[in-house]
Amino acid sequence: MMAGVLPQIDLMRCILCGRCVQACPTQAVEMLANGPTIVRPDACTYCTACEAICPVGAITCTFEIVWK
Amino acid sequence: MDDYLRNSLSTMPLFAGLSEATLGRLSRVAFRRTYAPGMLILLEGAPCESVFFIVTGAVRVYRLSPQGRQQILATLGPGQGFNTAPPFLPEGRTPASVEAIGETTVLAIRQEDFVALARTCADFSWAILQDFAAHLLHLTDLVEDLALRSVRGRLARFLLEQADGAYVTRPWTQDEIAAHLGTVRDVVGRALRSLADAGLLRMERGRIVLLDREGLEAEAGA
Ligand code: SF4
Ligand code: SF4
Repeated sequence: MMAGVLPQIDLMRCILCGRCVQACPTQAVEMLANGPTIVRPDACTYCTACEAICPVGAITCTFEIVWK
Repeated sequence: MDDYLRNSLSTMPLFAGLSEATLGRLSRVAFRRTYAPGMLILLEGAPCESVFFIVTGAVRVYRLSPQGRQQILATLGPGQGFNTAPPFLPEGRTPASVEAIGETTVLAIRQEDFVALARTCADFSWAILQDFAAHLLHLTDLVEDLALRSVRGRLARFLLEQADGAYVTRPWTQDEIAAHLGTVRDVVGRALRSLADAGLLRMERGRIVLLDREGLEAEAGA
């Protein structure tokens, strides 16, 4: 899948709990030295599971609302 | 003893677990009534005199709106009971009107006899409790469904306003949409999925694409 928009991870807020890595159904997120990172953008389906599980609201998945 | 009554009672799943002794007591106090199609069996608001269990046929349970429109609450068939709650309340009244759909035969039990059985026969009160529990769960689902439907309506209105540019448009997270609609993210997620399942919108990467204006307006107005 074409990458384009991806979940935004705010590393300033992140507490490195690793839950987003666990929650991602496609292993698109991995914990790297500086924090969770979307290492496989093509695998991300924008399912928003990582956003939903993050305990500190560090991840945001935004949607534009448009007509077809 | 009336064999017809006893046989009818023992074939009802509700009473399948009753002891012989309880079935015997029940068949001594139950009486059979047959109603022609369209006949009124109970009138909403009347004092409760009897409870009913359907043997054959079906009934429609309804209330009349102030405008006189019939709002059907349930359609019940063989084995199901109605008017079983008011006997447990002081001065319980019949909560809704009931009419026969086709020719319908019921077993009726006067409310004093029904209460006496519930007080003295544990297996009978257990059967009635199971029936109540099933009703309660059904109503819980119904309430949840109504709540979700009202969120769907508010969500549809919100999406239309956004896409039509009534306000400055910007990207939204599901949490922000939830806060805007006075609900929680989980419910917004489910409402979005149900609107998508209904073909009214499509979820894409970073975009909620509205597909059906008429359908969304109908949701918003509902
Ligand atoms: S949106 Fe879904 S697929 Fe993409 S990184 Fe988050 S959890 Fe993984
Ligand atoms: S769930 Fe949130 S806080 Fe935890 S590692 Fe992922 S981004 Fe950081």
